[in-house]
Amino acid sequence: MPLICDNMTFTYPETENPLFSDVSFQLTRPGFHSFFGPSGVGKTSLAKIITGAIERYSGGISMEGLRTRLYSHNKERLPGWSGVGHHLTRVIPPSMQAEKDKLVEIFGLSDCIKSRFEQLSMGQQNRANLIRYLLQDWDLLIMDESLANVDERTRATIILTIKAMFPNRYFIYISHNAMEVSRFCDSILVFRNNSKTPQTVMVRGCNICDEEDVAHEVLDATLLEVMNAV
Amino acid sequence: MLYRRVFQFFIIYFLFISGLMLLKYCLGLSDYVIPALSGMFQTLIAEYSQYSFATLNTMTVTVIGQVVSVIMAFVIGITGRQSTWFGSFIKVAAYNIQAYPIVALAPILFILLGDGFLTRLLIAAMICYFPVLLSVLGIVSKPVEDIEHFYRVTGRMRWQLEVKIRIFENLSQLTTVITGSATLAMAGTIVGEFIAADAGIGYRIRIALYQSDLAKVLIALFLIGITIAVYQALLELLGIAIKRAWTGR
Repeated sequence: MPLICDNMTFTYPETENPLFSDVSFQLTRPGFHSFFGPSGVGKTSLAKIITGAIERYSGGISMEGLRTRLYSHNKERLPGWSGVGHHLTRVIPPSMQAEKDKLVEIFGLSDCIKSRFEQLSMGQQNRANLIRYLLQDWDLLIMDESLANVDERTRATIILTIKAMFPNRYFIYISHNAMEVSRFCDSILVFRNNSKTPQTVMVRGCNICDEEDVAHEVLDATLLEVMNAV
Repeated sequence: MLYRRVFQFFIIYFLFISGLMLLKYCLGLSDYVIPALSGMFQTLIAEYSQYSFATLNTMTVTVIGQVVSVIMAFVIGITGRQSTWFGSFIKVAAYNIQAYPIVALAPILFILLGDGFLTRLLIAAMICYFPVLLSVLGIVSKPVEDIEHFYRVTGRMRWQLEVKIRIFENLSQLTTVITGSATLAMAGTIVGEFIAADAGIGYRIRIALYQSDLAKVLIALFLIGITIAVYQALLELLGIAIKRAWTGR
């Protein structure tokens, strides 16, 4: 069930110049993929096109088998009338409660699970938000800066946990951290400034599955390729 | 909060009385035009009981009228929040009708329903209903995207949840609007009583006006002010208690 985008062009209704044009790429297998690039080049817009939140665009998009596509981002909030744990219990299906407890532990939220959302730090808020998305029924999850404000070590733990727990699902991770996407992602769609052609370049990532899994030379080469592509 | 509101009212009232006294003695006005402080005190002693009961009578109508109008505003506001034809119709109708002075309709109500309790209640409710409705409409029509997004994309959003989120996020604003509408409800009741009712402090003011007895009017104003100050403070305390219970802070 690949995701295929063919010559995608998108222009905001109020503007004349396209945000991006002729973007083509394929995600042919499940795993952790990434959209990477500077701000304002269209990563979030493309993500919203994929999830169906934006309908006016040109080009073709095929998502055979990717029935449920969710978009999560780092500005989301949980309602403040109950504790985070109570909220997670309510929105996560009963069959997934064991996984919820496991993720709460791994994501480092055990100590603050009874707190209200606004009492959490920004990193904790993003982790709590991510847990509720991960345990829904979906085929493709887009994580738009979903681990912002989380420290590097915890981010690595979270990404490796996600990859281990959901090996047959598609992830698109939008991030500005070149090192992170180079290490953990299978493929990286690098967005370039819209003065450059082609506007996106697909780079193969290291796709590591545990902390010590990659040779420094390979990682350096990937990182260099990503940075040169921008 | 209760003490602060009452204290603020005392300051304003006594500044007002001081201004009147200044006017009286600067212009050499007689006690018939502006009564002396001793005359006002005697009137207070003489009319205190009767005027207090009249104020409580008015306050009862005010509270019931406000409760009715807040319930109506929420029902109509929640119904009209959607971007449907019916929702747009309710919004446009609410904006247009609220532009019309409700007090001007009061004589019609007195002619149709007489000068009893129901007419006063209707006028009070109508006067404070539209400002509350417009606020409720504004609050429940405006999406809280960063909270609602999850429920929408996962198909969990229900209208009850949508309303709950929006009210929760705007609780302070709603409390302020409802507290402020108490003054409108009181004003509506008094105006209604002043026009044609047979009870309440507005009715007493009308009699005092016919008797050209400014002391009675000033005593009535004092009782009205102190009552509404206490009522508003109680509403504010209620709002704080609800907010504390709901938000945990």
